[in-house]
Parts: sequence; C-alpha cells; structure tokens
Amino acid sequence: MARRKYLLGFSPARVGEPITYIIVKEFDLMVNILRAEIDERGGRLLLEIEGKPHKITSGVKYLKEKGVDVKELNEYVSKEEERCTHCGMCVSVCPADAFEMDKKTYKVQFKSDKCIACGLCLDACPPNAMKLRIW
Amino acid sequence: MPIVRHELSQKAGDRVVRTVQQINQKIKKGDALVMTAEEIIDVVRREGVDKATKEVDVVTTGTFGAMCSSGAFLNFGHSEPPIKMQKVWLNDVPAYTGLAAVDAFIGATELRENGKMDYAGANVIEELIAGKPIHLKAIAYGTDCYPRRKIETYVSLKTLNQAYIYNPRNAYQNYSVATNSSDTTLFTYMGKLLPSYGNATYSSAGQLSPLLNDPECRTIGIGTRIFLGGAKGYVAWQGTQFNTRTPMKNNVPTRASRTLAVIGDMKQMSTEYMRALDFRKYGMSLAVGIGVPIPILDEQMMKCVAISDKDIFAPVLDYSIQSRNRKPIKEVSYAQLRSGAIELFGKKVKTSSLSSYYLARQIAEKLKGMIQKGEFLLTEPVERLPEDMAFEPLEIVSKEEVK
Repeated sequence: MARRKYLLGFSPARVGEPITYIIVKEFDLMVNILRAEIDERGGRLLLEIEGKPHKITSGVKYLKEKGVDVKELNEYVSKEEERCTHCGMCVSVCPADAFEMDKKTYKVQFKSDKCIACGLCLDACPPNAMKLRIW
Repeated sequence: MPIVRHELSQKAGDRVVRTVQQINQKIKKGDALVMTAEEIIDVVRREGVDKATKEVDVVTTGTFGAMCSSGAFLNFGHSEPPIKMQKVWLNDVPAYTGLAAVDAFIGATELRENGKMDYAGANVIEELIAGKPIHLKAIAYGTDCYPRRKIETYVSLKTLNQAYIYNPRNAYQNYSVATNSSDTTLFTYMGKLLPSYGNATYSSAGQLSPLLNDPECRTIGIGTRIFLGGAKGYVAWQGTQFNTRTPMKNNVPTRASRTLAVIGDMKQMSTEYMRALDFRKYGMSLAVGIGVPIPILDEQMMKCVAISDKDIFAPVLDYSIQSRNRKPIKEVSYAQLRSGAIELFGKKVKTSSLSSYYLARQIAEKLKGMIQKGEFLLTEPVERLPEDMAFEPLEIVSKEEVK
C-alpha cells in the first residue's frame, strides 16, 4: 500500500464531475480530502490517496484523461528554519502531530509527511516561520 | 582566606564563600568555574549543596521570549537646515518624539499606520539591528531655531548617533499558563488558544529563567551587567509591574512577580537574540534574549540556582474570561508543561511554550563562554531592587475619589 498527496485543479466546466466517487469505486483507493475550494477559477482539491501503487497510477491517469490538472505534492506547509526560534507554539495547535519538540536539543522538528495542510499553524507561529506553499 | 562581608543580605548562619570581587579576579585569571542553571541541577543532586558551593563560582541563566514592554531610544542627528521633530515615523511606524529635537523612542508594539497588524516597532528594531536602511519621515511646526517643517530620508544603525534599547519590563519572574474554555479560537498575547481547552501555552524558561534562579533578587539589582540581545547590557531599574507580594512554593513565586527594566547598546546586538514576533489578531511584540550571571556567594545562592522545573509552578488561567480577577484553574509545574501535555478537568491538554527553551539554553551557554574567556565580569548591584512592592490595579474613579 502506498500513500500520496495530490493537488487537483479543475476548470469550472469539470466541477460537476464526481471524480472522487469514481477513483474510490473504480480504482479501490482510500481518499482523504484535506482541503477543497471552488471559486470562479474552478475547483482545487487536496487529497491524500492510499492504495496499491499501480491502482494509484491508474487513478491518476484517469483523472488526467478527464482533464484534471494533477500535481503530486510532498510538502504543503514549509518551515523557514532561519525564522524559527524553536519556541514550540506550533506543537499544540497541530491536529496531526506534525511538530515535535526534541527533548534533548529543544528544537522543533517539522515532520512534513504527517502534515495535512490544514494551515492551523500558519497564524499561530509568532516569528512567521510557517508558510503554506501552494494555496 | 578572609571572609569579606558584603552588602547583600544573607540568611542567618550562612557563610560567605566568595565575593563578587574574588570571582572577578578568578575570571580575569581564567580560573572561574562557570555552569549554566540547567547543568548545576545535576551537580547539586550528585554532590550536594556544600560541595557544589565550594566548587562553582558562577551560574548563568537565560531566557528568550516575547517581551512587549520593549523599545529603543534613537538620536538621528541634525539636518540642514535643522528640524525640531514633532511627529516621526520609521518605516511608517510612529515613534515618540516628545523629547529634544532629534531624539525619539520607538516602541516594540507600535503598529505601522496602514490598518494592518503585521509590522511594528519590533520590526524596525530588528531591521535596524540587521543593518537595513529605515525610512525616516518627520514633520514639525518650525521655530526660529529649527526652521525645517518636513524631512524624508533614510537612516541605519550606522548613521544613528545613539541607538539603545530601553525595555521597561523584561524577564518576568514566572508567568501564567493560558488556556481557553470557550467555543471559539482566541488570539492572545499568549498565542493561539484553541477552543474547549484545546491547548495551553506558557512563557517562562523555568529552571533557566534569570529571576527564578535568584528569587529574592539578592544578586540582581540596579547596575547588574547582563547579556541583552547579544550584547552586554545592564539592569536599569525595577521593571514595571514589579510585584513581591505573590504566593510562593519551593521558595519561588507561583505567579508573575518581579521584572527588570534593562538597557543596552543596540549597535552591539544581534537579530539572533532580538526578533519581531507576530501574534495574529493581537499585535506585534519583540522577542528579547536575556542572560544574567549569578555569583555563588554562599550556600543559599547555590540552593536557589539548583531549582528545577518540577519545583516551579505556574497558574493555569482561562483567557476566555475577560477579567483581571479570573481565578486559576490549577497550578502546574514546568516539568509537567514541558512534558507536552497537562491535565485539565480529566482531559489531556497539549502544551506549547511561547518562549524558546532552545535559545534560553544557548544564551546561558554563550554567557558562560564569555565569562570563561574573561570577556564578561560580574557586578555587585549599585542598589537592591525593592524588597516589598505591590502591583496595584487601575480603578475607574472620580477626581474626588482618587487616593
């Protein structure tokens, strides 16, 4: 089983397509919607997809055929190390436990693989070290 | 070795082991044994107060946190023709200039006049220290001796004649823990507080914090040389809201108590230890790095600096109660707070520190290094800070009722 995060973008014409339903049903993928937005530019969907690697590949192929802009993401929120003071304010606001206070060094470590891009840390960080990179 | 009496108060029967002068002689020879307030904890536990007192000369402390009551005095020099500045802006942040012609005070929390809350005096201070150019605008009514009515130019830390930090309240001796019982997120000076006791925030270096290591301010007083923002600074006065009448546990206050007013040369400072902080929907603040060396004069001082996080307690306050009279939910230790979670009403509540323990430790280490290298000598206070002082509230009264 593999787990990957994708940012999907669609034109206003494609917003009516039940693509999430199809990739769950036809490709046997587990889908976790992390963020969804629709405005006049179209729709954007941030998904975490879990399933067999070849099924994920086929699912992505299907989406592309449907005219969906698919981008695989490794990082959504990033931490600017030179701004971070390692206070730890982010640690308690993160619902995904993506921040760890190292009890030896007392430095805050950001585990981007755990990040669900909810953005709760962005306005919590006093030195403004957390940046949302795509949305 | 003669026992020299000094003017600092001592507990009855406590023998002076060394004086500040003797410590300084050792520092100059490179012989002083210096440890941080964190390192000393294990030494005392292992070897006992008696032996540790005999061996260790100085213990260094450190803290790095949001200290809103901070700012800087600046002198711009005179323009041609000269101006008596009546209003002044630095990068559009108003500075106070109700002083002589080209003197001003820039306060850390003063916001830029653009309706936003994302840039303030703290940013101007950080950018000045970083060596960046700062836009200066001033207006005036014009006088016979100062005819100019308007000026726009750029200044930098290099061009300013004087630029010194003067912070009326820093290094709070302990502080509250903040949480939020309401059903909405609160944005406070204690950071982002999630609804329904979603988290709790605290802001003290605990066992490394300067005033928690000298709880009665026996060695820290007016004139004490300190580490301030990367440079040498001094304790100028008692800090505002200085309060000695707070409850104690394990010989340290369990509430926000004593504070320091500090002064230091911005031209020697570093942005590593002076940082603008953005508390969204609250405002801006300045993170200040402070370290204070504590001379181990006797066993009493060693007992003080040996305190550890498990013995220092702070009250948990519900910041959704908008009253100065809110009662603590409970008291928790810094060891509990630093573990990552505390328990409130049977629920595990995640904790966050607002002050950086990483930088507090780095400051204590840096100060230790400066002392070991003979670059930093200790001082005896010129005067002691108040031994008894209350912090009174502000009442809304008539002219007749005011005391």
